[in-house]
Amino acid sequence: MSALNLKLTLGPSLFFWPRETVYAFYEEAATWPLDTIYLGEAVCSRRQQLRTSDWIDLAHKLADAGHDVVLSCQALTESESDLKRLRRVVGNGRVRVETNDLGAVHLASSAGVPFVAGCHSNIYNVDTLALMASMGAVGWVPPVEMDRDTLAAILAECRARALPLETELFAWGRLPLALSARCFTARHYNLKKDDCQFKCLEHADGARLSTREGKGFLTVNGIQTMSDGCHALLPHLTDIAAIGVSAVRVSPQATGTAEVVAAFRRAIAGSAVDMDSLPRPDGACLVDGYWRGEAGINPIGEHHHACA
Amino acid sequence: MKPLPELVCPAGSLPALKTAIDHGADAVYMGLKNETNARNFAGLNFDEKSAAAGIRYAHDKGRKVLMAINTFAQGVDISRWQRAVDQAADLGVDAVILADIGLMDYACRRHPRLRLHMSVQGSATNYEAVNLARERFGVVRAVLPRVLTVDQVRHVIEHTDVEIEVFGFGSLCVMVEGRCLLSSYATGESPNTHGVCSPAKFVRWEQEGAATASRLNGILIDRYGAGEAAGYPTLCKGRFDVEGDTYYALEEPTSLNVLEVLPSLLEIGVAAIKVEGRQRSPAYVAQVTQTLRAALDEAARNPQRFSVKPAWQAALAKLAEGQQQTLGAYSRPWK
Amino acid sequence: MRVPDLTLPPLFASVVSRLPATPPNLALVTLLNQLLKRGVLPADMSLLAGRHFAVDVLDAGLRLRFGADDNGFVLDDGHAEPDLRFAANAADLARMMLREEDPDTLFFNRKLTIEGDTELGLIVKNLLDSVDWSETPLARFMAA
Repeated sequence: MSALNLKLTLGPSLFFWPRETVYAFYEEAATWPLDTIYLGEAVCSRRQQLRTSDWIDLAHKLADAGHDVVLSCQALTESESDLKRLRRVVGNGRVRVETNDLGAVHLASSAGVPFVAGCHSNIYNVDTLALMASMGAVGWVPPVEMDRDTLAAILAECRARALPLETELFAWGRLPLALSARCFTARHYNLKKDDCQFKCLEHADGARLSTREGKGFLTVNGIQTMSDGCHALLPHLTDIAAIGVSAVRVSPQATGTAEVVAAFRRAIAGSAVDMDSLPRPDGACLVDGYWRGEAGINPIGEHHHACA
Repeated sequence: MKPLPELVCPAGSLPALKTAIDHGADAVYMGLKNETNARNFAGLNFDEKSAAAGIRYAHDKGRKVLMAINTFAQGVDISRWQRAVDQAADLGVDAVILADIGLMDYACRRHPRLRLHMSVQGSATNYEAVNLARERFGVVRAVLPRVLTVDQVRHVIEHTDVEIEVFGFGSLCVMVEGRCLLSSYATGESPNTHGVCSPAKFVRWEQEGAATASRLNGILIDRYGAGEAAGYPTLCKGRFDVEGDTYYALEEPTSLNVLEVLPSLLEIGVAAIKVEGRQRSPAYVAQVTQTLRAALDEAARNPQRFSVKPAWQAALAKLAEGQQQTLGAYSRPWK
Repeated sequence: MRVPDLTLPPLFASVVSRLPATPPNLALVTLLNQLLKRGVLPADMSLLAGRHFAVDVLDAGLRLRFGADDNGFVLDDGHAEPDLRFAANAADLARMMLREEDPDTLFFNRKLTIEGDTELGLIVKNLLDSVDWSETPLARFMAA
């Protein structure tokens, strides 16, 4: 196996961790073999262990140290204070941003700030992608539900139209599936969202939601609903590079992110990787159904052990 | 005095369309029989002939017809979606309801006189998003996802020239519309890709002794005891286990009902109130349309002393999923 | 015209259930095929062909059975397990057919039982909803 032409990125942490944990995590991440680091609060406005200015400072510090850094915007923006934070992130003056809704696209586009259109941008075709590029997108993350064949066709068409966009694939981690105005973690504790007591801090990988038969199904992560299964595209990297994807993203988990990043790096370098030994969020099973055009929950192929 | 909001009612079929018009809808919305609309169910929706008949019926009575083309065009060949926009323009609809910004771009270039509405599936939850759609594509109305409080809706209205439409009654999506992939995670098909949520072909009911299990693609969504009412296994409305508690972890089977806050919605100046339910029967359309028409007219006549009539609530309660109703996100505690 | 809220007496059911079922089945199949032929029932038979249906009028003790092929509706020998079964009392079935009540409402209120293939159930429900009775002499009976 020869080395693959793929960059490796670290997505923003979608979970709520204590302030010291976050700083320790990025101190370590700065030493990992990554091409780009995304950071920022992408899920919930009540998560303020790091304030917006802290995130921006951290991003700039990492950029000063020579890292390629992107600030991720909150995906669900409702109130004026949400917009205020969004304006500060977009106007950080130094690093590009990852937009996760049209409001952020509007702000970035108006300010001439280059942006990566995140996986919540609902880009399902080339016309929409080209339109995003015309508004200032320099890269995009396809919707996590997009299958391999649809993406391959879109990327072939991108080359035909000479669209200069980087394509980054969500390749590891619990999948961000849905957003709501309601906080499901607060609901679990019978708390109101406005008085949630920051219960998300107790679930560093989110809280598992199982069926009444005890099968893991989804993950409750504040206002976000994620998969329980850990999306794992590691076995498909050769194909991913071949269809023209530029980068693969590892989504942070509470423990073992370093090992996952190292495994991806080895795989990109052309070495074989033992999937079974990789740490998964909360010991979840590995899934890749979306990539194969099936239900996202479907486990990875038989030659690997989907569940630990 | 602000103008009374338009009452926008669902039409899954020609009889439903006529029923809505006959019972006081100002506008109806419909979709074509394919994956270009977010209620792509077998046997539902319009072909060219029934669409033309429906549009004629509505226009003869001075009402409007909106066409929902509100899924996301998939892949490289998106001609089906573009053709749907062309068809809508040729048929003479009063507006198209779009979610995909690429398609909005196409529509505003190809049919500059066609009114564009931003679908709820477009997930515009703030005025910056709404204003982008206005500046770039000339969108004149946006349907807001069911995530904002009345005050937040007011804030959007105060910061945009785009007309704002909100949901008034119907089954409740607990997730932000256009940003929920739960259905494809379980089945491979979602509202964004196939115009369906928890599609019927994946539903199985199983008798397990005295209990009934409802499954979606094999995944147990809920189990009902002998005396318990069984519901359709919509993913987010099942009972699940989180840390040893079994409950409606995401949302109860319930319907949104805004009657109580109707005067506030009028006061803040929403342009239209939408009823969910293109998958429901003409009988449902008749009862909801008639009730909301009466309530809107009463609120307009007497905004200060408006109170919800028990008969209205009773009529709507009967139609509600799970027979429960909520103000949803309009009321902060729901969140 | 509203359908009165009454249940048929048990005696009625016990008599009806002993009558041969073929005449009502034949009448139903003939009616459905007439509606199909005149274009009133906008059915895509390819979605229904080869499937078996049952309608149980509970308080009448009456079980209607029929099937479908590519050309229309056919009598069913009643041996095959129905792919789809609707069950309700006569008054509620009448309300549904006359559009006084919508099937979902009856279902939510547990007055209508739908069993079998859920997608087929939706196809049939949507088919019933899409009949434009205003184009037929039956229009005056319809609620909506």
